Amino acid sequence: MSTLTLPLDDNTTNDPKHRAPLIAGDQSLETLTDVVSGIVEQPVVPRSWYVAFAVSSALAAMFFALIGYLIFTGVGVWGNNSPVFWAWDIVNFVFWVGIGHAGTLISAILLLFRQKWRTSINRFAEAMTIFAVICAGVYPGVHIGRVWFAYWLAPYPNHMTLWPNFRSPLLWDVFAVSTYFTVSLVFWYLGMIPDLATLRDRTQSPLRRALYGLFSVGWRGSARQWHRVERGSLILASLATGLVLSVHSVVSFDFAVSQVPGWHTTIFPPYFVAGAIFSGFAMVVTLMVPARAYFGLKDLITVRHLDNMNKIILATSCMVGYAYGVEVFIAWYSGVHYERFAFLNRAFGPYAPYYWTMVTCNVIVPHLFWFRKWRTTPALMVIVAVLVNVGMWMERFVIIGISLTRGHLPSSWRMYAPTWVDIGMFIGSFGLFMTLFLLFCRFLPMVAMAEVKTVLVHEESHAAQH
Amino acid sequence: MQKPKENAGLSDEATTAINPRAAGPFALAGAALLGGGFVLGLLQRDHLAYFLHSYLVSVCFVASLCLGALFFVAVLHATRAGWGIVLRRIAEFLSVNIATVAVLFLPVLVAVIMRNHWLYEWLDAERMREGSKHYSELLAIKRPYFQVFFYVARSVGYFVIWWALARFFFTRSLKQDESGDPNLTLQMERWSGPSLLLFAVSLTFAAFDWLMSLTPEWYSTIFGLYFFAGCVVSGLSSIVLSAVMLQATGRLKSVITPEHYHDMGKLLLGFVIFWGYMGFSQYMLIWYGNIPEETVWYQARQTNGWALISLALLFGHLLIPFFGLLSREVKRRRHLLAFWAVWLLVFHWIDLYWVVMPSLEQKRPQFGLLDVAVALGILSLYLAGLALVAGGKSLVARKDPRLGESLAFENY
Amino acid sequence: MTETTKNSTTPESPGTLAGIVARFETPETLITASRAVRDAGFRRWDAHSPMPVHGLDEAMGIRLTILPFIVLVAGLTGGAVGLLMQWYTNAVDYPQIISGKPLFSLPANIPVVFELVVLFSALTTFAGALLLSGLPQWFHGLFANRAFHRVTSDAFFISIDARDAKFHENEVRRLLESQGAVSIDSYYDPIKERQIPTLIYWAVAILVVLAPIPVLLIAWAREVPSSRPRLTLFMDMDVQPKYKAQNESPLFVDNREERPQVPGSVPRGRLDNDTKFVYGKEGDNWVRTFPESVPVNLETMQRGRERFTIYCAPCHGQSGDGDGLVSARASQRMEANWVPPVQLYATAVRFQPVGQLFGTISNGVRKMPAYGSQIPPADRWAIVLYLQALQRSQSGTVDDLPEEVRKKIAAH
Repeated sequence: MSTLTLPLDDNTTNDPKHRAPLIAGDQSLETLTDVVSGIVEQPVVPRSWYVAFAVSSALAAMFFALIGYLIFTGVGVWGNNSPVFWAWDIVNFVFWVGIGHAGTLISAILLLFRQKWRTSINRFAEAMTIFAVICAGVYPGVHIGRVWFAYWLAPYPNHMTLWPNFRSPLLWDVFAVSTYFTVSLVFWYLGMIPDLATLRDRTQSPLRRALYGLFSVGWRGSARQWHRVERGSLILASLATGLVLSVHSVVSFDFAVSQVPGWHTTIFPPYFVAGAIFSGFAMVVTLMVPARAYFGLKDLITVRHLDNMNKIILATSCMVGYAYGVEVFIAWYSGVHYERFAFLNRAFGPYAPYYWTMVTCNVIVPHLFWFRKWRTTPALMVIVAVLVNVGMWMERFVIIGISLTRGHLPSSWRMYAPTWVDIGMFIGSFGLFMTLFLLFCRFLPMVAMAEVKTVLVHEESHAAQH
Repeated sequence: MQKPKENAGLSDEATTAINPRAAGPFALAGAALLGGGFVLGLLQRDHLAYFLHSYLVSVCFVASLCLGALFFVAVLHATRAGWGIVLRRIAEFLSVNIATVAVLFLPVLVAVIMRNHWLYEWLDAERMREGSKHYSELLAIKRPYFQVFFYVARSVGYFVIWWALARFFFTRSLKQDESGDPNLTLQMERWSGPSLLLFAVSLTFAAFDWLMSLTPEWYSTIFGLYFFAGCVVSGLSSIVLSAVMLQATGRLKSVITPEHYHDMGKLLLGFVIFWGYMGFSQYMLIWYGNIPEETVWYQARQTNGWALISLALLFGHLLIPFFGLLSREVKRRRHLLAFWAVWLLVFHWIDLYWVVMPSLEQKRPQFGLLDVAVALGILSLYLAGLALVAGGKSLVARKDPRLGESLAFENY
Repeated sequence: MTETTKNSTTPESPGTLAGIVARFETPETLITASRAVRDAGFRRWDAHSPMPVHGLDEAMGIRLTILPFIVLVAGLTGGAVGLLMQWYTNAVDYPQIISGKPLFSLPANIPVVFELVVLFSALTTFAGALLLSGLPQWFHGLFANRAFHRVTSDAFFISIDARDAKFHENEVRRLLESQGAVSIDSYYDPIKERQIPTLIYWAVAILVVLAPIPVLLIAWAREVPSSRPRLTLFMDMDVQPKYKAQNESPLFVDNREERPQVPGSVPRGRLDNDTKFVYGKEGDNWVRTFPESVPVNLETMQRGRERFTIYCAPCHGQSGDGDGLVSARASQRMEANWVPPVQLYATAVRFQPVGQLFGTISNGVRKMPAYGSQIPPADRWAIVLYLQALQRSQSGTVDDLPEEVRKKIAAH
């Protein structure tokens, strides 16, 4: 745990003549290294960590047990049935993939935009991306039914002389999500090498030194290494930016290329991307607020960081609201009866509570962030962030579930209800996510030390000139 | 980073204002060209259909420059960006010039008030009269929206909103030139968020009204964003081009550096990709869905010679500038960047031409003298307005509290 | 300071001198010192810092890396691979029309192409960034230097390699000292044996030994025949609650699941009182004429052609050449057990009695399966009728042609 309990400067003020410091307290390179490495190096792990880990790994175990039950029994244990063949499983898939997007946005897009405040939170958010994509990937994986034939999705020469159908958006999804996972992992790891080297150089345990040494590939902080890794990160950032847009666009194609009313609309790709970033940032804030307090990182992840993230939540909330509005307007403007009905059904049909929860949580509640008090008070922002996550889950159900219950043909309308397996797996996926996350906090540097150091040095030299 | 010094690096001759009298020749040339275009339009004996369409293309073109610039200004404030302060005044000039565009838009409103249904098909009362052989149920449904008065009111509303927003930033920025009051910056930052919201909604509906309703039965939810992407590309291009031209006349020499061009180049590249993303999303979903009422729009643009222009857009508005702007060197050399700015402006005009013209009755592309005369005429009048707006005013926000940061800015 | 410098060379000097490393207090002193080392003409040296130091690249004279170009090539390769793969698999090797899209549909191929561009580029960037900076390199003399461990925390260093042409220990020390080094140390080539902890060594060794076992088990299970029923991990519809032939059920007295026909009963439409019609035989001999109940006319023949196309043509081909799609694909794949179907107009077939042809269709011959259960007798006779026409058509002469056609041919 941190040895530093310096008073927290209020760095959220905005004086155009001076940039407020991004790092609070009287930090030096050394104290910064101590604070971050200290979390990993603490000799006695607090009991609270074990409690949290036990709870989440139990939930994760339940997740895998239910997957086993599903595989051995059949997909019928879910509530999916004609005409709602895509239900909670796909809702949860889109939900988790969306959550992942914040990490890439923070580490890639904000890097391109030179937003230095990203340095304190990017490691954390990228880790979240990877874990969220793992949770997401499980769902379509088990949804295919005969999981042991999942490899049929890959284009490989086989004895049936068949090839996958590349004109199917579901196959694009396979490529998009697996590329996303790979690239996020590589990006995360490349940025982490210098920090792993820090842990390698500080640790006393030979096992840790060997493992951190192995994964830090002999990093010596040489200028030639920095030069290439920095260039590489910049290139990866540009690639990841395109990738993050493409992934959720492809996810939206799963729906939008079809002709289902409520699915087939051209704004889907950017609308899904905005929604993904929205939900992802809400998740980062939800986790970040307790984590920074628990791990004593308040000086590195300051209120200003949270403030900035909340502004992005507000901005993306407006984008999502814009998309809702345009969709409703065009549904009317198109004059197509099915489109009009789809939107009336969402708002006033049997699932209306879902719709209005979605609208309230995603479009109305985030406007609290226009007020500085809400953006800068941790307890208040967590309320909004959690509600946004609820709202975004509802949004996916509204799009996927409600559209399917009432399609073109009234004779095949049918209501949908989840089974206990659906609900259990949803809760279980949070267990998997939290398990991975707790392991990350325990064994890997949670803050990108080297990157924060650049900010620190920058601010010091800035201060020296005054 | 250096402490912002008062007028750091700004000598007076470096920021010599533009002479407002430059407006005169531009106005004369513009009026002459437009007059010529009008005569050519009359000679076509098509109820001015071609002339009006071509006029709409070019007036939307100059509107999009203003809107792109307005977006740039508002985003700089919203993100509290320091790097772009030296370019902001140029963008403010461009955005305030929306007043000129509003005047230029009047002929379109006159045509609508006179119910010239050769421009907008929905002005044809026969299309909405049940029992008529031109009756379209899809149009009749939209009768409440397609009203002459409503259209005019909306269009006026858009211009009022944009002008008010542009004025808001412009007047405060000018006031700060005198007082250097940092509170003005805070005020602009505070209102940049809501103004972007207003901007997004008005721009979207302007795109629906002016451009999408040319094919009144067709609809696409992404259309507003598609137009927005084009606006930002052309707005950024005009800012770059203006900066290069001002530097060519010896102004702002030491103020705008390769670092600023580098960043503008990056943004330009980003929004070229964004434009492609919007265009692809729209095309892909309509192509794949294959529903007749949607594909009709692309059908018109893939047949009768329009396919060539569609492909030209794919290459000229996306692939070629993408590879052209990829290199760091190109972005840092102002003349190369200016070349790409001009290129993108030309292709943005072609983009609008491709959006508007296929809704004409005669289906083939008939690019000709009329289009050139109208486009150059409107551009000249726009430049005349710009000279009046910018005339006598400082070319840099000289007392912006973050000017020092912008002057010392380096990419790394 | 000089004191510590001298002492620190001795303590565990365990090998050949690899270089000199000097610590500096701040990034600024590191930069000035780097400039001095560069100007002194050293080539094999490096500066080390806990984070990237802005301005150090320039001070050291590091040129821009070629990484972006490598990545560009990799990206283009990825795109080409993506496009070729989709073209070959979906348009060439396994052409299937799906949802009315062309076999090679560019819009539908864009997402995968894009993803592969990103994947190839990203993996290349990752590998390139590491390999170009000489990583992974787990053994390096600097790691043995305790003081150097602070490089990843808060200290700045310059290391000069002993292999540099200009390296003279004392001169190097003097140079670094003059630049304000806080401490100066020698470092030595690493001793490799100590580096891998035994635990990891053994873990890896055991894993390497165990790794092939699953693969071998799979290979063994695939290749070695077994009389035991296969292990069913997943039900996979292997076991279903339904009655099947050859199975037992306690429900019936005879324990057979398959129920025999009740003696004396005839299934609907299966009354075979006409043996000529149902079996094509009279006694033990094939009939040579069509049964009375089969009308030999054009209508029957057309029915026969239709059935032939459905049931026979897939193997025998439309004209009975034995080149149907199934056969063609089997020969293309060089299936070992495939017996090519006979030519239906071969003499051996042509002069068979109609009853025998009927019998072959009903009961199959050699590799040809029986079609009796799929094609009702009347249709089988219709096929036989059509078959005769087909056979005749292959052995026609000029004399068979009508008068006028013969004249036409003669005229040519």
